[in-house]
Amino acid sequence: MAKLEASDAVVFGISIDSPAANNAFAEKIGVTFPLLSDMNRKVLKEYGILKMYNVQKEEYDWAQRTTFVVDKSGVIQSVEEEASAINPNNAVAVCTKLPKK
Amino acid sequence: MLRKGLSIALALAALTVGFITTVAAQQNAKVSHTTLKAGDMAPDFTLLDNHWKQVHLSDYRGKKNVVLAFYVLAFTEG
Repeated sequence: MAKLEASDAVVFGISIDSPAANNAFAEKIGVTFPLLSDMNRKVLKEYGILKMYNVQKEEYDWAQRTTFVVDKSGVIQSVEEEASAINPNNAVAVCTKLPKK
Repeated sequence: MLRKGLSIALALAALTVGFITTVAAQQNAKVSHTTLKAGDMAPDFTLLDNHWKQVHLSDYRGKKNVVLAFYVLAFTEG
């Protein structure tokens, strides 16, 4: 996190959870960055990362775990999906390489 | 005879539609990979943060780099 802040980046976590659930989650895991609620799955659809999960034979549409790095001009600099999106090192590396101002 | 032929044709049409719908649903289920890639503009959004405050991606344009970390569900390993 410190490395990301040093590289002039902000971080947002995004899921379909409600703001109340996200706030409780943020307190539990101690994150300092905002957690955003895409309750109507609008952003997930727009970013094309709605994934179907089968739980006890019922299907649910939730987010595919994905990390995007967006630079200051609004251009996507990197996309990481699934397992590789767990480790933030690449996102940090991408941010660090971006011009400071 | 004609009527029988017609009902068979209708049944086949219904099956075809059903099959196409099923295939479409299955393909839909697999479409979880984003079509966005490096170099594309990030679609703008407005979402509520965990304090019910609106966050617009466009507010950070020209100011900050933004890391968007989409996760499956709160309180899970996802």
